[in-house]
Amino acid sequence: MSWVLHRIDDRLIHGQVLVAWGQRLDPVRIWVVDDGVASSPWERELFQDAAPGIDVHVTTVADAAAAYASEDEAPGSAFLLVRDLVTARRLAESVNGAREWNVGGLHYAPGKDKLNDYVYLNEADRAAARVLLGLGATLSVQDVPASRAVSLTSLDAGISA
Amino acid sequence: MSAGEGGSATPASRVPALVVMHADLAQALVRAAERVVGPFTDVTLLSNEGLSRDDLERGIESHVQSWEHGGLLLTDFWGGSCHICGASAMRRHGEVAIVTGVNLPLLLDYLHNRDRFPVGELAERLQQKGRDSIRVQRGTPA
Repeated sequence: MSWVLHRIDDRLIHGQVLVAWGQRLDPVRIWVVDDGVASSPWERELFQDAAPGIDVHVTTVADAAAAYASEDEAPGSAFLLVRDLVTARRLAESVNGAREWNVGGLHYAPGKDKLNDYVYLNEADRAAARVLLGLGATLSVQDVPASRAVSLTSLDAGISA
Repeated sequence: MSAGEGGSATPASRVPALVVMHADLAQALVRAAERVVGPFTDVTLLSNEGLSRDDLERGIESHVQSWEHGGLLLTDFWGGSCHICGASAMRRHGEVAIVTGVNLPLLLDYLHNRDRFPVGELAERLQQKGRDSIRVQRGTPA
């Protein structure tokens, strides 16, 4: 059981994760894997309180990598959330990253190209995506369970190039 | 964007509010409130639509920082991006409170009492009003 969703979303915990994916997959734990949030006491507390009834772990990439295999064997299902493709790549390089990664929200920022309403990429994102694919990961773009999943590569030819 | 135009000068003790919600909900809720009580000022609106966490936080902060004596963030649900980003944005700006799960009765009670209570007390009051407004009336089977 355990890992049932690996999600790449700059909002980390938010409504789509808690309500749409949460009601579908019923996680008992959510791992927010983010060096910045993990190093900020007030941000850590904010996310730990964000999901009543769910055990939220906020960790660095290194600590998540150390706990990854034992979480995979733990009872109940768990979500793993990272804010961007680079963080996903860093984690996948330290663990068995041959997983399906759900690309749920990479919003506009200057210098990023639009793939759809909620996914914008720059060259650093594409480079990280290539590494993830090379590790055997799949990158599936889907904001909520009710929408259709499409592969990230089908939306951006630049990744395979 | 300010909801409604006209009206008299803002009382010094008024608690301003930013309604920040998913999609068009903030706009719809304020429009519904205006249908009930008429136009009002000192309520601003924001949608999280298409915004990253950083951009939403910045958007909220740009409203909050104009409040000299604090104010209220009214959001749709606990744990949503409007709440999370609101909590991040308000840290740096005086007495600001967030009330989540906002409904129309709660918003109307805010409008009725925003000149009477300080931020913290008003937030506690609205929490209770919002809860009290949710009731069930069951039909009697024929």
